[in-house]
Amino acid sequence: MGLIWRAWMRDWRRRPLQRVLTLLGVVIAVAVVLAVDLANQSAQRAFDRSMETVAGTATHQVLGPPEGFAEALYAELRSAGQRETAPVVEGAARLEDGRSIYLLGVDPFAEGPFRGAASDIGAAPVQRLLTEPGTVLPPRQWFAEQDAADGDRIELQAAGGRHAVRVLEADGAGEDDGRVWVTDIATAQVLLGRDGRLDRIDLRLEDAEAQRAMERALEQAAGTAGVNPEELEIVESGARDQASRELARAFRINLTAMSLLALLIAAFLVYNTQTFAVLRRRELLSSLRLLGAGRGRVVAVVLLEAALVGLIGTLLGALAGIALAQALVAQVAQTVTDHFFAAAVTQVTPRPLALLAVLPVGVGVALLAALAPALEAARHAGPSGQGAGAGEARARRRANRLAVTSLGLLVAGAGVLVTGVAGLPGAFFGLFLLIAGFVLLLPRVLGWTLRGLAALSAGRSLPRIGLRSLERSLSRSGPAASALTLALAATIAVSVMVGSFRGSVEQWLGQALTSDLYVTPVAPAAARDAARLPQDWAGPLLSESGADSLSTGTTVETGSDAGRVELFVVRPHPDWLEHLPLLEVDGPRDGLADRMAAGDAVLVTEPFAAHHDLQAGDDLELAVPGGRRTFTVAGVYRDYATPQGRVMIPHGAYARDGPAPEGVGSFGLVLPPDVDPEAAVERLEAWLAQRDPAAIVTRPAELEQESMAIFDRTFAVTHLLRIITLVVAFIAILGALMALQMERAREFATLRSLGLEPRGVHGLVLLQGGVLGLFAVLAAIPAGLGMGWILIEVINRQAFGWGMDLRWPGREVAGTVAVGLVAALLASLWPAWRMARMRLLPALREVT
Amino acid sequence: MSSSSPAAVAPSQDPVLDVAALTFAYPGAPETAVLRGVNLTLAPGERVAIVGESGSGKSTLLHLAAGLERPGGGEVRLAGTSLGGLDEAGRTRLRRRVAGIVFQSFHLIPTLDARENVMLALELAGLPDDVAGRRARVAERRRRADAALAAVGLEGLGGRLPEALSGGEQQRVAIARALVHQPALILADEPTGNLDSVTGESVFSLLLEQVATHDSALLLVTHSAELAGRLDRIHTMHDGLLREG
Ligand SMILES: Nc1ncnc2c1ncn2[C@@H]1O[C@H](COP(=O)(O)OP(=O)(O)O)[C@@H](O)[C@H]1O
Ligand SMILES: [Mg+2]
Repeated sequence: MGLIWRAWMRDWRRRPLQRVLTLLGVVIAVAVVLAVDLANQSAQRAFDRSMETVAGTATHQVLGPPEGFAEALYAELRSAGQRETAPVVEGAARLEDGRSIYLLGVDPFAEGPFRGAASDIGAAPVQRLLTEPGTVLPPRQWFAEQDAADGDRIELQAAGGRHAVRVLEADGAGEDDGRVWVTDIATAQVLLGRDGRLDRIDLRLEDAEAQRAMERALEQAAGTAGVNPEELEIVESGARDQASRELARAFRINLTAMSLLALLIAAFLVYNTQTFAVLRRRELLSSLRLLGAGRGRVVAVVLLEAALVGLIGTLLGALAGIALAQALVAQVAQTVTDHFFAAAVTQVTPRPLALLAVLPVGVGVALLAALAPALEAARHAGPSGQGAGAGEARARRRANRLAVTSLGLLVAGAGVLVTGVAGLPGAFFGLFLLIAGFVLLLPRVLGWTLRGLAALSAGRSLPRIGLRSLERSLSRSGPAASALTLALAATIAVSVMVGSFRGSVEQWLGQALTSDLYVTPVAPAAARDAARLPQDWAGPLLSESGADSLSTGTTVETGSDAGRVELFVVRPHPDWLEHLPLLEVDGPRDGLADRMAAGDAVLVTEPFAAHHDLQAGDDLELAVPGGRRTFTVAGVYRDYATPQGRVMIPHGAYARDGPAPEGVGSFGLVLPPDVDPEAAVERLEAWLAQRDPAAIVTRPAELEQESMAIFDRTFAVTHLLRIITLVVAFIAILGALMALQMERAREFATLRSLGLEPRGVHGLVLLQGGVLGLFAVLAAIPAGLGMGWILIEVINRQAFGWGMDLRWPGREVAGTVAVGLVAALLASLWPAWRMARMRLLPALREVT
Repeated sequence: MSSSSPAAVAPSQDPVLDVAALTFAYPGAPETAVLRGVNLTLAPGERVAIVGESGSGKSTLLHLAAGLERPGGGEVRLAGTSLGGLDEAGRTRLRRRVAGIVFQSFHLIPTLDARENVMLALELAGLPDDVAGRRARVAERRRRADAALAAVGLEGLGGRLPEALSGGEQQRVAIARALVHQPALILADEPTGNLDSVTGESVFSLLLEQVATHDSALLLVTHSAELAGRLDRIHTMHDGLLREG
């Protein structure tokens, strides 16, 4: 094979740039897939680790009302012989420097089987938590950052007020545990203001038998400990964070989908350059075949080259992917942190398996891209000369076949989406089928378009030549236009989705934040739900601010016939229902206020209704003070506060049969027109400064800003992938134009010999790039808007249950159009320059 | 002939092509001089043949005469203008006014039909330059192209793409294309090399006839002594040098 191989590989020296583009395609494909995978894995681990630290290896948890339950319950359970139990008091706290942490109060003696592996709880220093009261165990990394030492005193601000504690340093073992600080039950109770109460008891139940035994024991223990058994619940420990997991999963799926898209576009690039690389050496292949090289041998040479390209590309891509993952993981970790309380992973640890997994991707893409042209070249290796033209004729026939296939894909994709089979993965699959169908159809459409344009350009020879040569080389121009179209369409689709989402969230914030001022506890964002302010502040707040109406809102978690749910207990402003973005109401809207006031109706958010398959008029059983009661779902309203959704219940209804837990989550104040908000804020701040717990006054604008900042961070990662996608598309166009110009080098040389100036060649190539760009842009607009619509109406509804108003982001679309055209023109510059200064003699040379 | 053509302004005794002490080496092989001091002069309407072995540098000389490449040493004057002082664009502009080229393998633009291929030469030369309005100019170009095609015996085949024409027909289109803008000089490189002898003969006769009709000078590269003998003069290329006879 030696000489054949050498003859074949000489091309690398002759056309280095072309071949580097092929390599680059593989590199990008591998890098993006690997980066997204690594980032996803790391985020997943961050998430799991947070959850594991907090939940440990418990299989189930005993949960009670929001204010917790008497710790006597735990003692009773243990004395009843239930040994695999561990009490927990938990909540958010704030360090002096303002950073938020998560306090986990545990019983070191009971901990052994639960959190040992995850956090070294149970190791030596943990025992010191018991022997030395008022101590906490920060994560090891904190000591390094703060330059603190064992025994240092620090202040912690939490629900129980401000307290000084001593820090213990866990020497030796252990991973860092992000923001989870461990302490013993007694200290946690003081810090978190939970005297004599527990938040939960972790359980390990091997089977259903054990669970039934535990249920009986709990019933008895509750009786002895004086706890209302109706308020207790045994839930699987995963169930609580199921909703959070859902969001993380949806986010990951979005990322993965983007990476698949990038892979698709990169595969185009590889295919395009590989096909060209093989076709261009068709004469060599023919000569080799004529000299007696077997078909298998020729194919083997081509495939060996492809495998090498794949291998080298994969290795380089893996390096690039790890670097890219670092950027991505920071983004993802931030997103997780925004939505949950802790994510300490900021570093990517590439697992050998993930690296191995991209090898088939890289080599596979390269091999597949080379296989078809290799087989074709080997099959049709005849006397040279008619090669290229015959190849194009075959390519056109293939395009026809593909067009039929693509129609099938479009129908199948639409079918999957419309019928909604297979849930979220099904929806993505349907979308993928639609995209694949669309992309396969594009070259055909491009062919028609070019023919039409050429007909229109009669009498102008040069544009006609440019257009016709694009059409003749459809196997080059088609995939390139498809790649650019796909990239632009994806950009538009994401703009539509994110823009609609953002617009809807903004609008919702405007509606939901009906007060002029809010008073909220000082607590980390993720723990804000659990923080409370005294109810009796209501009077002073009204008088200090001069407001004429005050509302309260408190988030509590409780049991229901739909599992653990989040209740939003409100004492609303009088006109609240006018502002609520109701999507669906049971019965006439006018009577809604009365029904809500009557005490057995609740409202649910859109995602809640979606996740629990509820409609206005359905029943929902909720655990409220005094026991479980059945409520009617009086309506469904739009709300983006939580992806898992929540139930809004008036305080009167909530506390009808029993006293509601102490405290409220936040106060809202509506000021009369003559009260200056600035002044009111100042007066309130002065008043609040004297009070404990710490609270702050915020105005809706600030809340909106914070929310939108979180929103933007969440979606920032999509921008990165958009850029990558566009870069790949840019390279695809560049590669295609270069291939095209090289194939047509002789034609260009002829034109030059007939008197076309270098300038004219420039214009011709730029025209071709511009036409491809314009086509891609025009095709991408409807495709992108359609994809955006599907993302909103199908994917996001499936993933989050969130509905949103479709917004056509005119500016973004215009921007994308401009970017597409500029990308295409920029991609034409280099080939144009090259062709314009091409040496004529070699191209015109005749062999006699 | 257009009045703005420098060939027209030049006195008729001035040579159309004047090559003096021309040397040339390809950039790929700078050590090997392909032309080593070539002298050649073509008066208006004169027809000169260049013969010589394959690889002796005939095509190279022809291409240099057309300004497709910058001369190495010595001088090439096309219609009185020295090519050495012109850049790529300048050489191109001069070439499209003064010269028409016929290649061995025709080199028609595959995406244009026969008529458009001929019209292209007019369009690139900026002809006609005395007709106002784009439509009218296109119509005039079409008229002239059809006339040129008719003159080479291709009446009615103007709408055919090159791939639908025989080799002889393609070369006739190429001749029409080379002559349609009335150049002072036709450069032809083995114009019958890719044709069978019967077709070749008729195409060659046509070329001579057309050159005569248009009063153009002709520089013809061929390895056929028989064809060369039908021209005014014969030069032989050998080892990078040109000898008369
Ligand atoms: N692009 C090139 N680079 C280097 N050498 C070349 C190139 N083109 C032609 N030659 C060499 O120049 C010489 C003359 O070529 P050419 O003018 O085509 O000869 P002819 O037309 O007389 O057969 C040959 O020896 C050939 O090998
Ligand atoms: Mg030659």
